[in-house]
Amino acid sequence: MNLLKKLIALLTLLPALALASEEGYPLDHAPERTKDLAAVQHGAKLFVNYCLNCHSASSMRYNRLRDIGLTEDQIKANLLFTTDKVGGLMTVAMTPKDGKEWFGAAPPDLSVIARAKSSESGTGPDWLYTYMRTFYKDDSRPTGWNNMVFPNVGMPHVFWELQGTQNAVYTDEKDAEGKVEHKFDHFEMIKAGKLSKLEYDTSVADLVGYLEWMGEPTQGLRHQLGGWVLMFLGVLVFLTWRLNASYWKEIK
Amino acid sequence: MAFVEKKLPADAPIAAKALNWVDSRFPLTKLWNDQWGQYYAPKNFNFWYIFGSLAMLVLVLQIVTGIFLVMHYKPDATLAFASVETTIMRDVPWGWLVRYMHSTGASAFFIIIYLHMTRGLMYGSYRKPRELIWLFGVGIFLCLMGEAFFGYLLPWGQMSYWGAQVIVNLFGAIPFIGPDLSLWIRGDYVVSDATLNRFFSFHVIAIPLVLLGLVAAHLIALHEVGSSNPDGIEVKDHLGPDGHPLDSIPSHPYYSVHDIFGVTVFLLVFSAIIFFAPEMGGYFLEYNNFIPADSLKTPPHIAPVWYFTPYYSILRATTSQFVYALMAGVVAYVGLIVFKTKLSSLIKTAVMVGGAVALVALDVFEAKFFGVVLMGVSVMILAALPWLDQSPVKSIRYRPSWHKLVYIVFGIAFLILGYLGIKPPTDARTQVAQVCTFIYFGFFMLMPWWSAMGTFKPVPTRVTFHAH
Amino acid sequence: MSIEKQVDPGRRGLLVATCAAGGVAGLATAGAFVSTFQPSERAKAAGAPVEADISDLKPGSMKIFEWRGKPVWVLKRTPEMMASLAKTESEVADPNSEKTYQMPLPEYCKNQHRSREEHKDFLVVVGICSHLGCSPGQKFQAGAQPSLPDNWQGGFLCPCHGSTFDLAARVFKNKPAPDNLDVPPHMYLSDTKILIGKDEKGEA
Repeated sequence: MNLLKKLIALLTLLPALALASEEGYPLDHAPERTKDLAAVQHGAKLFVNYCLNCHSASSMRYNRLRDIGLTEDQIKANLLFTTDKVGGLMTVAMTPKDGKEWFGAAPPDLSVIARAKSSESGTGPDWLYTYMRTFYKDDSRPTGWNNMVFPNVGMPHVFWELQGTQNAVYTDEKDAEGKVEHKFDHFEMIKAGKLSKLEYDTSVADLVGYLEWMGEPTQGLRHQLGGWVLMFLGVLVFLTWRLNASYWKEIK
Repeated sequence: MAFVEKKLPADAPIAAKALNWVDSRFPLTKLWNDQWGQYYAPKNFNFWYIFGSLAMLVLVLQIVTGIFLVMHYKPDATLAFASVETTIMRDVPWGWLVRYMHSTGASAFFIIIYLHMTRGLMYGSYRKPRELIWLFGVGIFLCLMGEAFFGYLLPWGQMSYWGAQVIVNLFGAIPFIGPDLSLWIRGDYVVSDATLNRFFSFHVIAIPLVLLGLVAAHLIALHEVGSSNPDGIEVKDHLGPDGHPLDSIPSHPYYSVHDIFGVTVFLLVFSAIIFFAPEMGGYFLEYNNFIPADSLKTPPHIAPVWYFTPYYSILRATTSQFVYALMAGVVAYVGLIVFKTKLSSLIKTAVMVGGAVALVALDVFEAKFFGVVLMGVSVMILAALPWLDQSPVKSIRYRPSWHKLVYIVFGIAFLILGYLGIKPPTDARTQVAQVCTFIYFGFFMLMPWWSAMGTFKPVPTRVTFHAH
Repeated sequence: MSIEKQVDPGRRGLLVATCAAGGVAGLATAGAFVSTFQPSERAKAAGAPVEADISDLKPGSMKIFEWRGKPVWVLKRTPEMMASLAKTESEVADPNSEKTYQMPLPEYCKNQHRSREEHKDFLVVVGICSHLGCSPGQKFQAGAQPSLPDNWQGGFLCPCHGSTFDLAARVFKNKPAPDNLDVPPHMYLSDTKILIGKDEKGEA
């Protein structure tokens, strides 16, 4: 009996042995923006101006931007870049074939990128937020840029004018076994951009907020409706519980 | 026999007359009464007995949401992903809700079925005379796994594509016919539009029809012998003056209201997930599936959907090293049967021959093949349960207390296998999976011996029931 | 074992409340599912107003544009064609377009020529016969022709069941088609561009 109990205890501990930590650049937490309409609108503006040249968002209709507080006229005047119909989809002229040739890999469609990039290391927005802020100068790459979150990425640093140009600074440390580890230590800004660090981080947060919203435009409605549905079902659970009890009290 | 229609008095309500007309031509009232209204069931059902009804509810849910999804889904490799992410999730009014109901429903179905099977295991629901109910249930489980697998390809995301690629290639591991079989299943050299179209047919019509038939058979078999109960007693042994078991109650109204309560609790949890966590941390809607299928690039972490992971672990645990352990297992098991059973010498000889063949096969064929074999056997072995279980009592309640620990160890091993299936393999994890595989198979294959061991508790003649 | 046969008032109340609440839940869910049948955003986007370029449209000729999947005719009528409308006035079933087929006649087309006053000669109609939906053919030449009366002034003939329409797309009497052809909401962005599907009141 004791042996069995020991065996069970051992079995329950086994998973701990099997755990291993995930490798990769630690992700920063993306500030919550999806409920801030002004921020998401700003993000939409950044998206349409900086991303929509190479990346498509072919599941997203322009007129859906009404949901973040823009009128159709505002959309037509400021954001309608790749088509002339406000009901059209955010497609781009670059074909995947061209993209692969020019960048090494076709720029992926961004419609649901905020959902696709989630992992155990962090949410999709966390990934995107950290990604857009960890580009650094690397002359060995065809674009001249490299990235901490996505090493050897084919994408150039489209926001370099806003963020500025930074270098990645490494240190050489001896680890426990005496081997020299070439580790990333910090970024060093060699040429400042138009925005301060805070302004740039905020802009990226806005863009990520937009991407998160675009990944599932009905998310707000889903949460709202969910609150009512759960309350209603709570009442229904109570009623059916009492109804059940009223019948079963007669069973001896 | 001449056709006789019961005559109702002239002032009877019109509804009663209409029902009478139908009943003379179709056993409507009889069907209602036999299957539910006057179907007498033991009164001591507990929480574990809700899952059968919930399974039926989720089946209906999946079919209804499926019908509405198919109105907008396009089963074409170039159009499928967009038909889900653009059309259904964004363009169709309320399409996103239908989609989340269907994806959550799939995972809910498996949770419910695993709990439903756990009930069967605990209370010996599969014992005589209910073996056939159990066999139909195993059939339903297999169909459900197939249905989930075929359905998963349809969104045509990265997980859809590569999951299908891997599983179809499993069939390629079968000696001699494997590669041709895989080609035939796929309809192409790799998973492609041809595969998508046929999987669409299987998922939307072929398997649902089989499922409906099996569910009907499952319920008919149940109603034929009557439900079991947590005490494992046969309630029909004690009939009352009205011919019904003393310990039973009519399903209507008692289990009608009881199940409706269970259903509302389920819907509460179900809705909480749909409205607040439809992705469920990437387990119900996998993150990689938000990337359109790319036949040239496999995602770095590829794992089957959570409900397949225990069996997937068993598959992965079967390395070439593990095959030696299997050989030892075969020898030990054959020895057990030859020396520790009272079976006829004919059967013992057959077992020895079978064991020898198995040893040769284990030596000759690749470990990959035996991974597939073990994975298949790990599911199919459920069918043997009514005959493996030699306990003199049906329910866990009257078995020796240590039997509970055996079940718990089995359950933990199953859960560990499930957990490991999600993770990328490492040497340590593979070893743990191998240990758990032995526990899993040991539970079943040694059951004829351990299930009869120990001091059993006296089984009461009447059910244990506490008034509500 | 005894089972009470009477339904006590508490239980009845619970039954009613549960059924009512359950009914609401059922209706709400059914409503969501039924709504999925409504035109999707894609269908609505495809149904957006269409710009029709009429800069090269010569008098007496017609151009066909597609709007919401249907043919929309833009016919630039000659003075003779306009004059014929008075002659057909007594022969058409509904000269004042009091009846509606699928779209109510816009206010600005409530006249004999069924077109905007500033652009009288342009006829803008949906070329779908009000009988069973075929698209009538052009029969602009006046005079006797097969399937047409001897005093034919010019108009349209539907090939499916023989309905005829005058040059304001009004249906003649005693024909299978009951109604005049629809005039879609439209507005002139300029003298050479018509926006079909939208007017001052908004989109159709």
